[in-house]
Amino acid sequence: MAEDKSTPAGNSSRPAGTGRKYRLVAGHKLLFDEEDFLWHPGDWREDIAEALARECSLEKLNDEHWKVIRFLRDFYFQNGRAPLNRQLAKGTEMSMLTIEALFPGGI
Amino acid sequence: MKVKLKVNGRLQQVVADKSLTLLDLLRDEFKLTGAKQSCDKAGQCGACTVIVNGKAVRSCLLKVAKLDGAEVITVEGLGTPDNPHLIQEAMVLAGAVQCGFCTPGIIMSAKALLDVNPDPGTEEIKKALRHNLCRCTGYTKIIDAVKLAGRFIRNEISPEDIRPDPDGPKYGVSHPRPSGLAKACGTAQFTADIIVPGALELATVRSPHPHALIKKIDFAAAEQMPGVIGVMTAKDIKGTNRLKYTVADRPVLCEDKVRYIGDPVAVIAAVTRQQAVEAAKAVQVEYEPLPVLGSPEEAMAEGAIQLHDDRPNLCFIQPQIKGDAQKALAESPTVIETHLTTQINHQAPLEPEACVSYLEGEGEDAQLVVIGRSIVIHKHLSMLQDALGWENMRYEEAYTGGQFGLKLEISSEGIAAGAALHFKRPVRYIPGLAESMLMTPKRHPFDMKVKLGADSEGRITAYDINIIVDNGAYHSNGDVIINRATQMLSGAYNIPNVHAVSKLVYTNNPWGSAARGAGPPQANFALECAVNMLADKLGKDPLEMRILNSLQPGQSKSTGSVVEQWPFPELCEAMRPHYKRSLLETREYKSGVIRRGVGLGAGAFGIGGPGDQAIVAIELDPDDGVTIYAAVADPGEGNDSMLTQLAADGLGLPLDKIHLMTKDSDQTTATGPAAGSRMTYMVGGALVNAAQQLKQAMKDAGATTYRELKEAGRPARYTGTRTTLEAGPLDPETGQGPSFESVVHALQMAEVEVNTETGEVKVLKMTTAVDSGPVINPLNFEGQLEGGADMGAGFALREQYIAGQTKDWVTFKFPSIKTAFEMESIIRETPRLRGTGKGSTGVGEMTMVPTAPAIISAIKDAIGVWICNLPATPDKIKAALQQRG
Repeated sequence: MAEDKSTPAGNSSRPAGTGRKYRLVAGHKLLFDEEDFLWHPGDWREDIAEALARECSLEKLNDEHWKVIRFLRDFYFQNGRAPLNRQLAKGTEMSMLTIEALFPGGI
Repeated sequence: MKVKLKVNGRLQQVVADKSLTLLDLLRDEFKLTGAKQSCDKAGQCGACTVIVNGKAVRSCLLKVAKLDGAEVITVEGLGTPDNPHLIQEAMVLAGAVQCGFCTPGIIMSAKALLDVNPDPGTEEIKKALRHNLCRCTGYTKIIDAVKLAGRFIRNEISPEDIRPDPDGPKYGVSHPRPSGLAKACGTAQFTADIIVPGALELATVRSPHPHALIKKIDFAAAEQMPGVIGVMTAKDIKGTNRLKYTVADRPVLCEDKVRYIGDPVAVIAAVTRQQAVEAAKAVQVEYEPLPVLGSPEEAMAEGAIQLHDDRPNLCFIQPQIKGDAQKALAESPTVIETHLTTQINHQAPLEPEACVSYLEGEGEDAQLVVIGRSIVIHKHLSMLQDALGWENMRYEEAYTGGQFGLKLEISSEGIAAGAALHFKRPVRYIPGLAESMLMTPKRHPFDMKVKLGADSEGRITAYDINIIVDNGAYHSNGDVIINRATQMLSGAYNIPNVHAVSKLVYTNNPWGSAARGAGPPQANFALECAVNMLADKLGKDPLEMRILNSLQPGQSKSTGSVVEQWPFPELCEAMRPHYKRSLLETREYKSGVIRRGVGLGAGAFGIGGPGDQAIVAIELDPDDGVTIYAAVADPGEGNDSMLTQLAADGLGLPLDKIHLMTKDSDQTTATGPAAGSRMTYMVGGALVNAAQQLKQAMKDAGATTYRELKEAGRPARYTGTRTTLEAGPLDPETGQGPSFESVVHALQMAEVEVNTETGEVKVLKMTTAVDSGPVINPLNFEGQLEGGADMGAGFALREQYIAGQTKDWVTFKFPSIKTAFEMESIIRETPRLRGTGKGSTGVGEMTMVPTAPAIISAIKDAIGVWICNLPATPDKIKAALQQRG
């Protein structure tokens, strides 16, 4: 069969795929989705959260940050989904403006 | 004029204009929504069948003005779920109800037949049901159901005689599916059946061009049309206006450019649907045509126009390299080389792409509610939130009239939900069949150049395949389709050397996405035809060829993953007596005009892809039953049976103590799509895990009831998960890496008859040998096998979606009861190491993976020519025969 030369197999500069990728974070090889969320919720640990926060220019996570993070994780493991904003605001007793200010890069 | 007619025994007086159809009267005025509408009231589908004066009629074709004095019976007039008619019971007990959209119409046709002939034969049933289409069942169980109903009516047996004991075993028993009677009695509400008083009705202006700039949209004439309330364009969408499955390339409404025939440009809202449709026709859109990328070759050509600004037309490549295929082929004494193609195809669910949307509550705190046909409500919720710029949203899945992959994507929801926000009014978007075809994704066409080699004993040495996939105008999950095909590339066989390159290319054709099997049915068509061609060339029997080349535990697939179980040779042996019988029978038909042939096709379908995960919550209720909380769509497969029977089995509860909460994004876990045949293995596995946690908690607390558990201070709710062992993607350079962790095996045998003068092919029988582990509900399981084989036969012989030409069920060549064929299933149940419950996996897609190659190989056996370009239409067969001379 005539080989198609237009784009060789194994061309690493080809257009990016849309799938998952591994990254090294806080010494752990972790799988992330295409939007850079952790693939496995069970991979999460506090030192990983802190390292990811630093990637988002949050040098230190304070009590309010942890309150939001812990609520999100508890909500997920209880309900199997992410909360809507109204549920997040109610659950953390914070306004969305406050939460958005805590995580300027997004939640 | 005023008409008096009796409907379900009740006298009604109706002042009807001459255009009013009986279907519209029943559905819109009397709210008798058991009669369904699929075919744009063209009389093609029979879903609207009712009985008028003792005869089964398609109510969409009947004008009310001509029905003075008529007596009408609808499905609602037969029975209710609490007190069903014997035919309704028979449909459920025979396993003839899957999605349920066609069911009321079929029941009415059956009643009209049984009223005059309570003991009909198969041909009489086929004649009576000739106007009723069904996409799910392959018609086999429908014929069984009519015969069973006849036995009930003749008092030979009663439903109680055959209904499984609800207190008996839960696993491996065909307990009636929980939703069965609601569907059979017409009380199951599909989206268009939901009553929304005062809702605006929508219609969409869609592009007639495959590629063009939008220069101007003129609503002046449309806005003057009767009933028009308002219009909506892309600038009225407040979010990103992009429906991003994996790539943000598909607009809710096009801004400045259209990229395929059917791209949405503008929306009209009116008081009635007809008014909206008429006004949409009056919208003047000025287009400036652009060069059309009609094929991947054109799109990849130097200087071709780029379809999307931010990514090249050749948008994804996945190679696969195992061993040294080039060297192995050069050294192989026997090599076949061929070029095969598959067509763009429509998945063809009967239900149109209906959607209802409205705001619940006031102001910025209002929740936008979307009701539709999604098989992945949480993902769609998130896509809609971004696209429309409205976060507080809820998606509710209504009953869904089939989908076969296409509802992995958003179809009408973006426009409906966008309109509900824009007009601040409830809306109904109930598109017809032609528009539903335009707005939905299609099965990707594959172009495959293949070489397959073998040694002197017939052992496969190497496989080389070059695949080009036409992505169409938008990406959806095109990369996933290629990855799935790559993951399963070597099928059932041990192929030590593989070289493959798959390319995904944007064009101006209809966009592709999931379609039953999603990639493997196309790629496997090439492999299985090649294996049969190689057997031909070697002079080997195709069955022996498969046994000789079967992968064995400890050997690896094309991904390099080593398999632990591979019960494929046993399926070949189970098929052997059927195959021998068939070879003997066809021997007499090898000359003359009508010839017969037999062909084999195998499949090895992966379940539980790398990185797949599921999460299910289960809660003990005050009545000591349980509720399962998980977004498990059930567009017809029987996921309600799977969840109910698994939970009842695991917890030792009666079936009626298992409650399902599966359709509401505010109440359910986000457990992934009802796709990839993953629900039993992944979600069922997560359910079993949750049930085990609940059981353990009760044991630890010494509790046997809800009250005792609560008194012990234990929670009533437990969340179970299921995660595949491996997660990562295939290596982007070599295609090596983790693969599906379980495999469903199948071997199918097609027996066909070919008319050498007309080129017509008649499938006489499909025999399917399958092993997907222990079966939870045998009737549901067989229903998947039969429906899949029927769909596979359509894919092989008839069906094709041609943009701008395929507009209804006739031009699509929808399989009817006339084209239905005999089916036989050989079921083996090897428990899978990580299977759910007793070792079960899934079967919904595998069933059509081997069908097309089996049929094409049977045609070759009958007439001596290979048809390598699907579908194998009579014209292609005549041309091939003529060319051979």
